[in-house]
Amino acid sequence: MSGDGAPVDEVASPAPDPGRMGSERLGRLRAQMRAQGVDGAVLMHGPHVTYATGHVPEAVDASHANHCRAVAIVGAADGPARLHAHGEVGEAVAAGADLGALLWPELDDGAAAVGAAIAEVLGDVTGRRVAVDAVTGAMARTGVLDGAELVDASRVLGPARVIKTADELACIDQSQRHTERAMAEARAACVPGATRAEVAGVFLAALREGESEPGSDHRNEIDPIFQPMPLHRDGGPRTSTGHVAFPTGVDNPVFSEGDLVWVDAGVGWHGYMSDFGCTWVPGRDPNAAERSLFDRWMAVLEASLAAVRPGATLGDVGRAARAVEPDETPWLPQFYLAHGTGLESAEMPIIGTDLGQAFDDGYELEAGMVLVFEPVIWADGVGGYRAEEVVAVTGDGWRRLGRGHHYEPFGT
Amino acid sequence: MSTDLVTARRERVLDAMTAAGVDVLVLGRQDNAGYVCGMRRLWTAGTRPFGAGCIVVGATGRVHALSSWDDGIEPPMSFDDLYPLTWNPRIMAASMAAIDGLAGAGRIGVDELTPSFDRAAAHFAPDADVVAADDLMAGVRRHKLPGEVEAIARACRAAWVGAEAALNAGESADPVASAIEALAARGVTVPSSGIRAERRGDGLSVDIGVIRDLYEGGVGGVFVDGRRAGSTALADACRDGATHADLAAAATANDWLVRGLGMGFERPVIGPQVGLGERLEADMVLSVTDGNRRDVIHVTASTPVVLSARP
Repeated sequence: MSGDGAPVDEVASPAPDPGRMGSERLGRLRAQMRAQGVDGAVLMHGPHVTYATGHVPEAVDASHANHCRAVAIVGAADGPARLHAHGEVGEAVAAGADLGALLWPELDDGAAAVGAAIAEVLGDVTGRRVAVDAVTGAMARTGVLDGAELVDASRVLGPARVIKTADELACIDQSQRHTERAMAEARAACVPGATRAEVAGVFLAALREGESEPGSDHRNEIDPIFQPMPLHRDGGPRTSTGHVAFPTGVDNPVFSEGDLVWVDAGVGWHGYMSDFGCTWVPGRDPNAAERSLFDRWMAVLEASLAAVRPGATLGDVGRAARAVEPDETPWLPQFYLAHGTGLESAEMPIIGTDLGQAFDDGYELEAGMVLVFEPVIWADGVGGYRAEEVVAVTGDGWRRLGRGHHYEPFGT
Repeated sequence: MSTDLVTARRERVLDAMTAAGVDVLVLGRQDNAGYVCGMRRLWTAGTRPFGAGCIVVGATGRVHALSSWDDGIEPPMSFDDLYPLTWNPRIMAASMAAIDGLAGAGRIGVDELTPSFDRAAAHFAPDADVVAADDLMAGVRRHKLPGEVEAIARACRAAWVGAEAALNAGESADPVASAIEALAARGVTVPSSGIRAERRGDGLSVDIGVIRDLYEGGVGGVFVDGRRAGSTALADACRDGATHADLAAAATANDWLVRGLGMGFERPVIGPQVGLGERLEADMVLSVTDGNRRDVIHVTASTPVVLSARP
């Protein structure tokens, strides 16, 4: 890579195999369950359901997702995972899941059926360790799972999910490429006088181009962020961090020629999340001071990537980034230098958070982990540069996921 | 959104807490948090792991919210009512402990139960019982204030902007993309149930579900020659006192659903297999689906009002 912009990777990953992806994920989940003495899992958080069964819930508002929850039930022994879902279940079928009737775990008159489904798959749960991500009020009032020892599902899902299979990496790669294509159209629309929502509309409409199979489409998962940033730290909303507020994402500003616009979006494909970040300059070329921010940003990215390899700790990567910018931490204080992505857009591992240096120093990178780098370079009075780069840790270093972009208009 | 409406919703929640003997509410659901504090947050799709997104303390009457900045908040909430985003459970527990009235709580209501919150609460509120309070919030939200009905009607008018754009899309155009861009031109980019439009023979099957200023609006149906087909019998049956049997008798399709609509998907939920004991009441607002046709209905003391009428 060079400061003139990242090289572009024309070779996409091979298409994922849904059946293989499903069985490998379920195998990884069960290995964790057995290692931790967990007898069964009752999963209702969308990404957990996807991991266990292949079913990808629709990208709808949380209130809809909560009421029309899919439920996955997984025993520690072999055999298919059980899925109870509303709507399209083709992906779960392809992943080998066993289908049950739809359930209403939010509703008092739906909870007993949840209990019956759990008993059917797991048997009597009294005295057994069952992983749950949530228990609805209705399930609690009905006594579903009473007598079981409940453990956090993230304790078994987390270690399973953090290492991606080749198929999972292919999904992230494809999702990122599709997002990049749609963002090229959005950037052309991000001109002085346009609104945030208009540019978002161009992006969301462009995501639909090239769609084919129902159920494996690209689903927008975040209200797309195109946020004009203040030039001074204290020029925006009041914050508790001493830095700027990002992403606020709630207004509909009109872009003007002086703006630096921070862009952030996430799109799921087979449930796997892209993460696109960039800084745009509507209607003009960046000035010299702004270009200097980008050059410094690229230097931080290159130094960080040079430290990425199996066996390196998160602390090693964070130190490499800080060494380039010793005067100020080159990322937003409420966030991180890098985070993972997968079935959620901010997964482990996370580098440089308030979990602290000891956490970072005790966490080693392994092949198959994914890192989304998002450094920020800020110069008060000039503004900030922020972009994102998605990579997978390989056997001896890293490789990019997505086609890559030239950081227009800062790159070539 | 008006401060008066936020304050009125907050008062209803505080009253319900008193009636239920709940000292503190810890809300993880975005819609519940939005109801009590009016805060507009970045929208993300789908379920979220439970976390303390918003805290209501009965003793102080204050509402606290998870945010590192004061963008999107409404009076009477101020910057001092916020606690910052953190990745560190110990820092979060310290933020909780610093909230006036939380440490001494006897009953903490949550809208979803998790082993990790039970464990954390044992530290910052050692004497508290953690109890399910999803039904407390659902009960309050079941009946709409006049300002909420107006907000839902506005969101329904936005949904029609999408529907009309899909109907007017040219033969070679993608009607969904047309709807998305028309909605975006009005500043609406957040879906509730989503945007669907599909050509079927001579007709166009459309269902638009959006969120505008935290409230949901929607409309659906098969349009032939620009007119919406389908029966209004189920919508007409949505009267004060109507039972599951009344609604089932009025429905013309096997797939029918009558469910609360407000800040998203709400209670009651009545369908072929669910909500058998429910009874409709005045001031409910309902999304009423009978086959392909969907309308948003305000149940009143007299005849139902169609909030999703074509503008």
